Parts: sequence; structure tokens; C-alpha cells
Amino acid sequence: MTQGIRVAALDDIPEGEGVAIDKAITGTADDIALLRDTDGSVWALDDTCTHEDASLADGWVEDGYVECPLHSSKFCLKNGEVQGLPATRSTCPHRVEVRDGEVYLFPNQAP
Amino acid sequence: MRIVVAGGGVAGVSTVAALRAGGFDGDLTLVDAGEFPYDRPPLSKEYLAGSRELKQIALQPPHWYDEQGVRLINECTVAALHPADGTVELAGGLLLRADRVVLATGGGAARPPIPGVGGDRVHVLRTAEDADRLRAALTPGARVLVVGAGLIGAEVASTAVDLGCDVVLADPVATPLAAALGEDLAAWLHRLHARRGITTVRAGVASFAETTDGIEASFVGGAEASFAGGVEPRTFDVAGPGVAAEPSRVFDAVVLGVGMTPQTALAESAGLDVDRGVLVDAGQITSNPAVLAVGDGARTRQGPRVEHWEAARHDGARAAATILGTRAPAPTAPWFWTDRHGRHVEVAGHMETADEVIVRGSFDDPSFSVFGLRDGLVVAAAAVDDSTAVRAARRMIDRRVPADPARLSDPSASLRTLLRG
Ligand SMILES: Cc1cc2nc3c(=O)[nH]c(=O)nc-3n(C[C@H](O)[C@H](O)[C@H](O)COP(=O)(O)OP(=O)(O)OC[C@H]3O[C@@H](n4cnc5c(N)ncnc54)[C@H](O)[C@@H]3O)c2cc1C
Ligand code: FES
Repeated sequence: MTQGIRVAALDDIPEGEGVAIDKAITGTADDIALLRDTDGSVWALDDTCTHEDASLADGWVEDGYVECPLHSSKFCLKNGEVQGLPATRSTCPHRVEVRDGEVYLFPNQAP
Repeated sequence: MRIVVAGGGVAGVSTVAALRAGGFDGDLTLVDAGEFPYDRPPLSKEYLAGSRELKQIALQPPHWYDEQGVRLINECTVAALHPADGTVELAGGLLLRADRVVLATGGGAARPPIPGVGGDRVHVLRTAEDADRLRAALTPGARVLVVGAGLIGAEVASTAVDLGCDVVLADPVATPLAAALGEDLAAWLHRLHARRGITTVRAGVASFAETTDGIEASFVGGAEASFAGGVEPRTFDVAGPGVAAEPSRVFDAVVLGVGMTPQTALAESAGLDVDRGVLVDAGQITSNPAVLAVGDGARTRQGPRVEHWEAARHDGARAAATILGTRAPAPTAPWFWTDRHGRHVEVAGHMETADEVIVRGSFDDPSFSVFGLRDGLVVAAAAVDDSTAVRAARRMIDRRVPADPARLSDPSASLRTLLRG
């Protein structure tokens, strides 16, 4: 799947926000959160917070991190690393490419 | 340098984590009374409901301590501090050398001196053992009295009703949490109890007495007390202040949710300054520079004691920065969350300081929020099922972004763009 899956138009994701892509589309174990940073860049992480089960796509995206909407754990957009309690496990990053205003996802590939 | 952290709640574990993350490479020991360090908020929610086990609420996975080079001493308490000798004494007499000690011992659930409060049917909730014991009492149909309708009392009442108990929630205050949430939101939240079939009573408890059938609680009302909820809302007219609303009722179990008492015994016997909490400076240092204190058990001289999860975590980060001599993370507006009756509530800032309150959305909406303003600046926000509003508000508070009341109150206006000014 070298072309990636077209999952969204860039304009569908406001800066600082995310959208969840259903695992039925991505073929992954979990839904994938497409997250748009405040600098406009787009990133993808497993959607379910590793703490409980909040959707990171509903989180707050800012300066390279997404903050979980439930208890504020932060995950690094680049590599999924967890930055602080209460979550203790990192989450899985996926490769994303933006071409001509379209967002392509490469599930399970390293960014 | 050798550091001993006494207490493995979120404050103690955060201290240890921040020390290692900040490059501390000395000897690091964490002593905790529990089976292993675990998180407390789920104790009144998923853990009490039985949907999460203890190991699922561990603050760190078991291998973390080895990986971080932290000596974890479980199921053991610190019995005394000897700062002058540079040692910490464990229960059983073992002495640990310590150049600096961090007190992170939290506190215990308060037990007011009500006659009969020591009975077996009276519960408190602070530890996993407390939750296990309470869980065993929350059987379907059990008659449960929750005393105190604040954060923990409301959560326990909600979990108990989920488990099929017949719940009475008593508090002498008409609108619990009004200062923290604002009057309208607090009243709305309190009414959720009655909607779920909980009987709410505006009354305190004067005494408990064991009977053959359970534990009898006698209530003391204010000028009025009402039993609402259940099948038919009922109101009792009471002759006057101090007269029982309903003379008494018998329960299978009673839960006290009336606050916490900071654990200050270690500090006191070590001669540290204590006043409703171990007194600390802005860098978490106590009156003895070799000892720091963090979390629910500590208090700065200027401010009240804060008893919320995130404040404890920040204290830990600040204590680590003090020890490492690095810059402490910038302070942020206080923040806490609570869950009841399936609704997720978050609060940031100090609602009690607001001179104007703006509602964003309507209390009938699936999610809505309330903003507190003072002199045109956002000073607080509280939201039901809208975390983003509170996250935005927190940044508005911290960055002192001028508020536009018209846009704040309009749910279709993006708070993120508002934040950008
Ligand atoms: C049931 C419940 C629900 C809560 N829900 C929420 C919520 O939804 N949101 C929120 O923001 N906050 C919530 N809180 C508050 C939050 O959990 C506390 O603010 C937080 O736990 C404080 O952390 P701490 O580390 O200071 O203290 P604690 O969590 O009390 O930890 C102290 C630790 O020290 C240990 N200890 C004590 N004495 C000794 C000793 N002498 N030697 C060794 N170890 C010792 C104890 O065993 C304990 O593990 C809740 C609290 C409770 C009890
Ligand atoms: S669910 Fe994400 S931090 Fe708790």
C-alpha cells in the first residue's frame, strides 16, 4: 500500500484539532486520530488514550503534543511518547503524507 | 546525593519521575504503605464499580521502577524523619540514609466526631482497602447513606446507584460545591442525584446507632429539609433550626465523604512547621531545608491546601526542580475533574472570584460550559462533557487573554480562535 489511504482533505481538520478515522477504513487494531498541529502539520496516532478510553482525536493539539480530553495526559505527535501521568504507556504513531491538500495515511508505518 | 520520597501517591511518584527526567542520577528510594503506588481518582469510580482492578490503576507499570533505577519499598511506612542525622526511619526500625527527604504522604479521610461513627457499617474512602470494603457493602438493594455531597460523596452516590443500591445523600448545605462551580451549575449537578432516584436530604447527621436491622442515622436539618427523589419528592417542614428533618432512618451502610485530614504526624515529630498541612515555600521546601513536602498533605503559607490530583502532580515537578536547581514549570490555573451519573465535569480557575458568569450553551444540551469573568478577564470555567472549553479557558486564564462575552456565550464560536485573540 505504497500510495497510502486517502482519509481526509486537509481543510477538514482545523489547526489544533483532530479527526478520528475508523479502523474499518485503516485496517488497524484501533481507530487512528489524525491530528493537526498549530503549525499546520498533520500527524497520526492510535486514537484511544492509553490511560482509559478517551479519543485523542477529541484532544487539544498544540506545539507538538496532543493533550487527552479526559485527564490531560500528553502524547508527542511525532513518536507517540507519553509525557506525563496518568497515562503511562506511549501510543503508536503512523505515517501521514499531505499531497495536493489531501491527507494520506500509511497505517502501521513509522512516520 | 540520596533522596527518599515518603509516600507513593501521584505527588510522590511525580517527584521521582521528574527527578529522573531532569537528570538526577543519585540514589532514589520511594517508600509507600500500599501494595504498589496506585491512582486514587478511580477509587470512587471504576474501581469501586468493579470495572477496573488495582493493577489497572497503578501509577506506573511494575517494570518502570527498575528501569528508572528507583528502589521501591512497598507495604512499608516511614516511621520517623531524622533530618539532623540525615536518616529516615522505616517501620521496623531500618534506617535509610537521606540527604533530602520529600514528604508525599497525602492524608486520610476525615471522620468527624459523630457518636457511633466508629461502627463497622461506617465507611470512608481513601485507599484501595477502603474501596474493597465499601464495594462489598454496595450490594443491589442495600440501603446506603452517603454523608457529604461534595466531590467524593457525589461520586460514591452515583456509583452506588449504578450498583443498584437504595441511596440517600445528606448534606447540610443547600447547594454543595456552589463556590467551586457557581450556583447554577452546582444546583443543576446536585439535581442529577434526584433524577437518578437518589434521595437528597438537606441535613447533617447527629449520631449513629447500631440496631438489629442496620445502622440508624439521626439527621439534624437546618430550617428546612427536603427528601426529594425516589418515587415521590417529599418535603418536610421542620419546627426550627437544629430540629431533625426526619427523626432517623436505618441503613445497611454509611459512607462519609466529608473531606480529608492531611497526614502531618511525621512532619510534626520532626519539628517542622505545620498548620493544616505541612507548610512549604514556593519551591515546596518545609521549615527544614533538607525536607520538602508535596501533594494533599502540604500547603504554602499564603494559600489554602489544594486537594486535587493535578496540583499534587505539579507539586512533585516543582519539588524535583528545587532539588535539581532547575526552573520549575510555570504555574497554571488549578484544574480538577469529577464524574457523576455518566457526566464528566471539569473545573479550572477560581469560580468564587468571578464577578460575572457566562453560560455557553444551555443546561439542557448534551454538553455546555460556564465561564467566570472578573474585570473582563476569564478567571474560571466549569464544563459538563466539554473538556475543550476548559482547556481553552485554562489558557485564557494563564495568558490573561481578554474575554469577549458575546463570543464566549455563543457555542458556535470557536474558543480556539478566541484564544488566539
Ligand atoms: C476516592 C477519591 C477520588 C478522587 N477523585 C478525584 C478526581 O476525580 N479528580 C481530582 O482531580 N482529584 C481526585 N481526588 C483527589 C486526588 O486523588 C488527590 O488530590 C491525590 O491523590 C493527592 O495525591 P498525594 O500523592 O498528595 O496523596 P495520596 O494520593 O494520598 O498518596 C499518599 C501516599 O502516601 C502513602 N503514605 C502515607 N503515609 C505514609 C508513610 N508514613 N510512609 C509511607 N507511605 C505513606 C499512602 O499510602 C499513599 O499511597 C480523589 C481522591 C480520592 C480519595
Ligand atoms: S483517558 Fe487519557 S488521560 Fe485518562
